[in-house]
Amino acid sequence: MSAGGSGGGAPEAIPQNKLIAFGVIAGLVGVYLSHYLVAYVSTAFSFIGGLAAICAIVWGAAAVRRVASYGLGTGVPSIGMLALGMGVVASMFGLAVGGIAGPIIALLSAAIIGLVIGVLANRVIGMGLPIMEQSMTEIASAGCLTILGLSASMTGTFLFDAVLNNVVATGYIAVIFIAGGLAILHPFNANLGPDEKQDRTLMTAVEKGAIAMIIAGIVSITTDGAASAPTILIGLFIWYMAFEQYRKYVDRDAYDVVGVGLLPTEEEGSE
Amino acid sequence: MEPLMGMGVLAIIGAAATIAGASEDLESDVGSQSNPNSQVQLAPQMNYPHRIFNKAISGEPPSNAMLGAVGGTVTSVLMNAYGLSVVFAIAAGALVAALIHGTYCTSAYMGRSASQKRFRQPIYLDIIRSHVPVMMGFAYITTFCILVVSYLMTAVLAHPFPLPLLAFIWGITVGAIGSSTGDVHYGAEREFQNVEFGSGLNAANSGNIVRKAESGLRNGIDNSWFCAKFGGPVTGIAFGMTVFLSGWITAVFDPSTGTTAGWLSVIAGAIIVLALIIWNRRIEVAARNTYGPYKEDEVEA
Repeated sequence: MSAGGSGGGAPEAIPQNKLIAFGVIAGLVGVYLSHYLVAYVSTAFSFIGGLAAICAIVWGAAAVRRVASYGLGTGVPSIGMLALGMGVVASMFGLAVGGIAGPIIALLSAAIIGLVIGVLANRVIGMGLPIMEQSMTEIASAGCLTILGLSASMTGTFLFDAVLNNVVATGYIAVIFIAGGLAILHPFNANLGPDEKQDRTLMTAVEKGAIAMIIAGIVSITTDGAASAPTILIGLFIWYMAFEQYRKYVDRDAYDVVGVGLLPTEEEGSE
Repeated sequence: MEPLMGMGVLAIIGAAATIAGASEDLESDVGSQSNPNSQVQLAPQMNYPHRIFNKAISGEPPSNAMLGAVGGTVTSVLMNAYGLSVVFAIAAGALVAALIHGTYCTSAYMGRSASQKRFRQPIYLDIIRSHVPVMMGFAYITTFCILVVSYLMTAVLAHPFPLPLLAFIWGITVGAIGSSTGDVHYGAEREFQNVEFGSGLNAANSGNIVRKAESGLRNGIDNSWFCAKFGGPVTGIAFGMTVFLSGWITAVFDPSTGTTAGWLSVIAGAIIVLALIIWNRRIEVAARNTYGPYKEDEVEA
C-alpha cells in the first residue's frame, strides 16, 4: 500500500546503463562544445550548454526514479536537493582547480562525493537499498553536469572566474540550484504511482529541463559571453514539443481523460 | 538609516510577508500540496477516486523556492539589463514565476492521475482548467510579496545578499511555514470532516477523505474556501511575525552602530523566542484543559 512505489525495482524500457552513457557523454561534450564554439565561432552557441543540462537532467531523473521506486515516498524531494547540493560543491571545486579540465574534475569529484554519501546511507544509516551507492553516484554526477551546463549557457564558458562573477556572486546560482533540482526530482514525484511509466517520467524531465534552459537564457541577457535569444527560443521549442509528447503519454496511460464528469461508479470497468 | 525610516520599511515588509504567507497556504490548499497530499494520493488506492486536485511539486519549500528564485532572477535581469523600474520588474518576475508554476501544477496533476490507472482515477480536464489559473494567481501574489520583501531588504536595509538568493531563501521559508502552520487546517480537519472532531486519523479511515461537497463533488477550490477562513490567515500571521520580528530586533538595536547594540539585538531575539515558547505552551495547556483528552467509548455507561 505504499504510495511511493511498488517496493521493488522499476521496470525500464531504456536500460539505465544507456542513460548513464547518454548523460555523461552528451553532458560533458555539450559543456565543452558550448565553451569552444562560443570562444571561436559565436556567442550564439551558448545554448548548447542548456542542451547538455537537459541531457544530464534526463539522466538524473532516471536515477531518481530507479532509487525512489524502492518506496522513498517523501524522500524524493530530499534526494533531489541532495543531488544539487553535492553538485554545487563538486562543480565549484572542479572549476576552481581544474581550469580547462574543470568539468571533468568536477564530474569525478561529484561521483566520489555521491559514492561516499551512498555508502554512508547504506552502511552507516542502514537504508539497505541495493542500488543506493550507484544511484547516489549517478544523481550527484547528473546534478553536477546540470549546474555546469546551465552555468555554461548563462555565461558562455565554464571558466571559474566568469562563473563566479556572473553566476555565483549575482545570486543566479540560486535559480540554477532550484530549477535544476526540481527538474531532476519533479518528474518522478509528478508521476508517482503504481502505473508510472519510464518514458512518461523522462519526458517530464525533458520538459522541466527546457524550463531551466529558458531561465538560463533569460539570465544570459546580463552576460557578454552568451547570447540569450537562441537559448530562450530553442528552450521554448523543446518545452512545447516535450509537453505535447507528455500529454500524449498521459492520454495513453490514464484510466480515462474526461472533459467533465462524475466519479467512476463501482461496477464500471472493475478489475 | 534613521530608526523611524527603518521601522516604516520593516512594517511594509511585515505586511507583504503576511499576504505572502496567506496566499502561499491557500495556493497549496487548492492543489492539495504538501502534507495533506498523502491522503489525496492514497484515496484512489483505497477505492475512493475523487475530483480533488492532486499535485506535489516536491513539497512546499522547494516549490516556493522555485517561485522566489525565478521571480528574483527575472526581476534582477530586467532591472540590471534594461534599467526597468522596480515595480514593473517585480510584476514581470512574478508573472514568469506564476507561468512556470502553472506548468509544474499541470504535469503533477496529469502524471499522478495517469499513474493511478489501476485504481480507476480519471483525469478531469475541467479540474485543470479551473484550478491551475487559481494556483497561478495565488503563486503570483506570493511571489510578488516575496520579491517586495527581498527588494526592500537589499535596496533599503542594505542586506549583503543579491536579490535572487534572498528571494530563494524567503521562498523556502514561506514554504516551510506554510507547510507546518496551514496544512493542519486542511489535512486534519477539512479532509476528515466526516469523522468526529478531534478523533485523530484511525488507520481504517486512511484515504477516506471527504469527496462530496455541500452540493456536488468537492474539489480543491472548495478546500481553499474553507482554509481561507483560518488556515491561510494564520499562516500569513505566522510568516509575517517571523519576518517582522527577525527584522525588528536589528532595526531597534542596529548592530552597525556598535558591538553593544549587536549583543542587545541577540538578547532581544532570545527573549522573543522564549516568550513565544512560553505563550505557545500556555495555549496548548489551556486547549487541552478546555477540550480534554480524547475520550474512550463509554461502553459501560
